[in-house]
Amino acid sequence: MNVIIGLINGMIAAATPILLAALGGTLTYYAGIFNIAMEGMMLSGAFFAVLGSYYFHSWIVGILFGVLGAILIALIFIFFSISLKVDEFVTGVGLNLFAVGLTTYLLRQIFKVKGAFTNPGIVSIPKIHIPLIEDIPVLGKILSGQNLVVYIALIATIFITWLVFKSRFGLRLRAAGYNSTCLDTSGVSSNAIRFRSLILCGILCGFAGSFLSLGYVTLFTENMSAGRGWISLAAVILVSGNPVGIALVSLLFGFADGLGLFLQQSLPSQFTSMVPYVATLMALFVYSIRKKKKEAIS
Amino acid sequence: MTDVITMDHIVKVFPPNVVALNNVSVTFREGEIHAVVGENGAGKTTLMKILYGMQEANSGKIFLKGSQVHFNKPGEAISSGIGMVHQEILLIPEYSVWENVILGVEPTGYFGKIDQQKSRQKVKQQIDEFQFHLDPDARVEEISVAARQKVEILKLLYRNVSFLILDEPTSVLTPQEIPQLFDELRRMRDNGRTIVYISHHLEEVLELSDRITVLRKGSKIDTIESSAATKKSLAQMMVGREVIFESIRKTARTGNIVFDMSGLDYSFPQKRPILQNIQIQVREGEIVGIAGVEGNGQLEVVRIIMGLLKPDHGKIEIQGKDFTHASILERREKISFVSQDRANMGSCLNATISENIIMTHHRLNKRFSKWNGIVLNKSQIRIFSEEVRKSFDIQMDSTEAEIKSLSGGNQQKTILGRELSLDTPFLLLDQPTRGLDVGSIEYVHEHILQMRDDAHAILLLSADLEELFRLSDRILVLHRGKIVANLKTEQTSIEEVGYLMLEGGAQ
Repeated sequence: MNVIIGLINGMIAAATPILLAALGGTLTYYAGIFNIAMEGMMLSGAFFAVLGSYYFHSWIVGILFGVLGAILIALIFIFFSISLKVDEFVTGVGLNLFAVGLTTYLLRQIFKVKGAFTNPGIVSIPKIHIPLIEDIPVLGKILSGQNLVVYIALIATIFITWLVFKSRFGLRLRAAGYNSTCLDTSGVSSNAIRFRSLILCGILCGFAGSFLSLGYVTLFTENMSAGRGWISLAAVILVSGNPVGIALVSLLFGFADGLGLFLQQSLPSQFTSMVPYVATLMALFVYSIRKKKKEAIS
Repeated sequence: MTDVITMDHIVKVFPPNVVALNNVSVTFREGEIHAVVGENGAGKTTLMKILYGMQEANSGKIFLKGSQVHFNKPGEAISSGIGMVHQEILLIPEYSVWENVILGVEPTGYFGKIDQQKSRQKVKQQIDEFQFHLDPDARVEEISVAARQKVEILKLLYRNVSFLILDEPTSVLTPQEIPQLFDELRRMRDNGRTIVYISHHLEEVLELSDRITVLRKGSKIDTIESSAATKKSLAQMMVGREVIFESIRKTARTGNIVFDMSGLDYSFPQKRPILQNIQIQVREGEIVGIAGVEGNGQLEVVRIIMGLLKPDHGKIEIQGKDFTHASILERREKISFVSQDRANMGSCLNATISENIIMTHHRLNKRFSKWNGIVLNKSQIRIFSEEVRKSFDIQMDSTEAEIKSLSGGNQQKTILGRELSLDTPFLLLDQPTRGLDVGSIEYVHEHILQMRDDAHAILLLSADLEELFRLSDRILVLHRGKIVANLKTEQTSIEEVGYLMLEGGAQ
């Protein structure tokens, strides 16, 4: 039983950063932006979260710094893709590479270490124990005692669903993606909507990054996002942006991640760590077929 | 009736020297349906775009209820109560009717939550008020084009627009849908709204409008009461009574049929048919002109001849050989083609003049390459470019300059030079003199007539009736995708062709 609970909790933990980044990605997806910079936003968030937590001995400041670090990348993306109208894909690739370089450089300059920075001074984000629920046998160990960010991700899923489908912002957000000229002629600047969607994406990726370096583990390693941003992109595309679908797909990827670890007992680890990426490739394959079918109809 | 909007001495010049509007003054009154009619390029849409803030006038003033106004963008016009429905419908297909209507001015509750109930109710109320017969919850992609047009109008009414401009609204409608639109427009007028109706369908205009303003070549001819107008008098005002240039054609010595298109149908997927049973024959030494108001199928005819569109049925033969399914390169061995789209289809703006001149030639003529077509023969290219430059009098510094450095007229001459020197049996000329000045037009016309006298078969499409009458031996009239008339130039008149273009052959 403990193995299964461990596997489920591992799945949830692995799914959380993907879910948060994908929720950010879904906002930009609806706004009609081909945003692939979640990877860079998440990595930057992870680094600055450690920085904030270490210097101020507070996980709250850590999250704050993480969010600001991710917003920094989002702002550069906005500057290039919205203001200068540079190709979104090129901007995204450039920013993802930039985030790796920036965090590695700062890691070596500020903390004078190579590879990884770990220190007892880094305060990690606490786990939340919910009274009563905690005492439920089996389920209590899953529903309670998760990291704070896991609950935030859950709330974010509900909030983003509401935001996209029920709010005024959501109506305009989707309009920006479906037909931005129509939105512009309706008197709403589609660029302003895109700006906001990217900032929100930055915030969510900041939480995802903070969770990586202050929740999942308590340290920062070079390139620690390790493709999770790309997987979140695949999740968004796979379910055409539906937030609930994203949550399920994230759990699936989380499961693949956990499965990879589990399989390491019998298979070489190089193969098992491929599992999430193979899943991503398959998702993109399905997407391309579906897209072709859609085009054939219209 | 009080005047709502007065447009005073509006002048609009498109660079470098195309006068789109020449001192046009119009007054629109409250609660009238005011039609603005004219041929294509008469300036109808430009005039309305200036009023709506989509284009800037070079001079002239606009008054709204006596005080001068100036709109920099459509949003400002809308907040002053002026709205425009364009020919192309701008909605979000994935959204429902009510979502489309409220987009941008959404009624909201706490935290920016859309008040769905209130929104739907308001939209429903408006639909009922104008008897639009729309389901507010239907998705726009699932409703008809006519219904989408209503949604566009509704969107403006929702924003309290009292002055509505409609740009050729019936062009997207089927004949059955038109009376319904007219009823709705009349109802809006009776509610005190002013409607400006841009059209070139005279019958519709006479049926619907209270007053009519006629534009011709950027000038206002007159504003008249509809009750005082007839179809004939309007057509004369629109087309004008100018004397046709004396024809410089010699009598035709026509030979064998070169180009033969028969039984050609084309329909755009899931839409109404665009071309129906088109028959076109062109003989050696003959120029056949196609007249028609833009958007009646000309573009499709051209694209089908060039192999860019596949017809549903029908056959194309050139010199007795079947070309219906020929590749574009095979076609180009027999067809010279001047596209009306100079910048995209006619030339490559970033390439040099000589590169543009040898396009197609380099595929068909071995002279321009060596080593079995692997390497271009620069010296031959230079010689040929100079020949074309001389015989077409292209003003340029060097054939190695980019073609975009030339003026529009010289670009067109370069393209004509390339195509006419292909020396193919059949020539397809789509608006060959668009954008040229009078002198160049003269020059091009002489070249075209020379080609005809050299026994080429020529199919000419032109929006300029005078050009058609000057060059063509026969004129075909294309109306709503059908050829409604096949006339010998000597036996017809600009008035007759103009009438057929607008009304088809039914009357």
